[in-house]
Amino acid sequence: MPDLPKRKVGLISCSGEELAEGTVTRRAVRKVLETLRPGDTVTLCLPLFLAGGEGERAFARHYPTIAVDGCDKRCAALATKKYSAKPAASVVVTEVAEASGRGAIGTARRLNEEGLRLADAVAGRIAEETDRLLKRKPGSAGPASGRGAR
Amino acid sequence: MSGGRRKVPVVPCSGIGKSLGAAAREAAYVLAEDLRPDRTRIVALSLLVMGDEEARRGVAGGAAVAIDGCKLECAAKGLACSGAAHVHKIAVFDVVRGHRGLKPEGVCDLNEDGLKLARATAEEAAKAVDELAREDGHA
Amino acid sequence: MSAATLELAVDKFLFRFPADLFYSEAGVWVGFEGPRARIGLSDFVQQRNGDVAFAEPKEAGTRVRRGEETAVVETIKVNLSIASPVAGRVVEVNGDLPASPELVNQDPYGKGWLAVIEVEDEAAARAGLRTAEEYLALARAQAEAEVLR
Repeated sequence: MPDLPKRKVGLISCSGEELAEGTVTRRAVRKVLETLRPGDTVTLCLPLFLAGGEGERAFARHYPTIAVDGCDKRCAALATKKYSAKPAASVVVTEVAEASGRGAIGTARRLNEEGLRLADAVAGRIAEETDRLLKRKPGSAGPASGRGAR
Repeated sequence: MSGGRRKVPVVPCSGIGKSLGAAAREAAYVLAEDLRPDRTRIVALSLLVMGDEEARRGVAGGAAVAIDGCKLECAAKGLACSGAAHVHKIAVFDVVRGHRGLKPEGVCDLNEDGLKLARATAEEAAKAVDELAREDGHA
Repeated sequence: MSAATLELAVDKFLFRFPADLFYSEAGVWVGFEGPRARIGLSDFVQQRNGDVAFAEPKEAGTRVRRGEETAVVETIKVNLSIASPVAGRVVEVNGDLPASPELVNQDPYGKGWLAVIEVEDEAAARAGLRTAEEYLALARAQAEAEVLR
């Protein structure tokens, strides 16, 4: 096993194309990677993961992951468990939406304003889980840093 | 279904790491919502590979279109393992080669080049769908 | 690859560097074959720059100085001007690349080679290159700097 560098959290989103919630997962994960917790997170590509991507699966075996699913079919969480290891945390968009009483969020192709706000809320939840997994105090992000990964 | 005719399942890779994955996803929407709404429907790759019964029933034994961002062909592989009889592969990467100079950017929000690429990819996929319809006698 | 291969892991990415090759600081690998040098892009460079859409080395017969452009590689992200790691004359270019540029990504040290150069001065050429260990250290520093940016 090569050197394991700084501890990071892998984010794996379902990106489900049939539901708007799938698009929410995608936007939320990218927001965490690029803005909220850059340097602390890495995105794992679910299609590549499913197709046998060695980098994605190896990362998920050795680092904590957060599965971000659009609905309760939980494809990202199940795939991570099946091909690597059980995710350390799981966020489901429909649960976040229900808890906050949100209305229609647009389509899978184009989220409306409500959908964009939901994506931000989901991103916030992912960031909190990231802090918990990295054992940080709530609200204290790591040092400002650039993009985690492609 | 449109007039009893089976809608061709379209499966994009939706890779989150590269703009080509985003272009594949957008191309699927352009195809299924704008170009061939009566003949195609989108099926989520993750549902197929994770064995969702309804998703698999929809592709088993018939033709399908995979739209992949790169040469790793995750969507095509997923479809092949899910019982599709014939997978027509569309690679965004190959469309890029036919439109030199396009530099797609963005994963959540594609830039103009990315949207052009998605449109061009969808048009290629539409040709494949039309060919499948001709083969089925539904031109 | 028959020789040992060094590896560098950064996040989910694994970069490989065959130990029997030499490398320019810009990440072009060099495999000496007698008086000739076969060149290509290192695994680190190809992964960082994305899927190669076009790879166009200078045609056979072209003389190149060390540091002078010897190929143009267009990826989906950027257009790269590839500087020759050695001085000499291009004697062969990879004829598979026009139809299959993805070879540069899929097999950077094998089928994805760019060109073969007849080297003017092998000793001088070798002196201007890094070993795999030295290049790995450079790559690590670049990768870590990017993450921190």
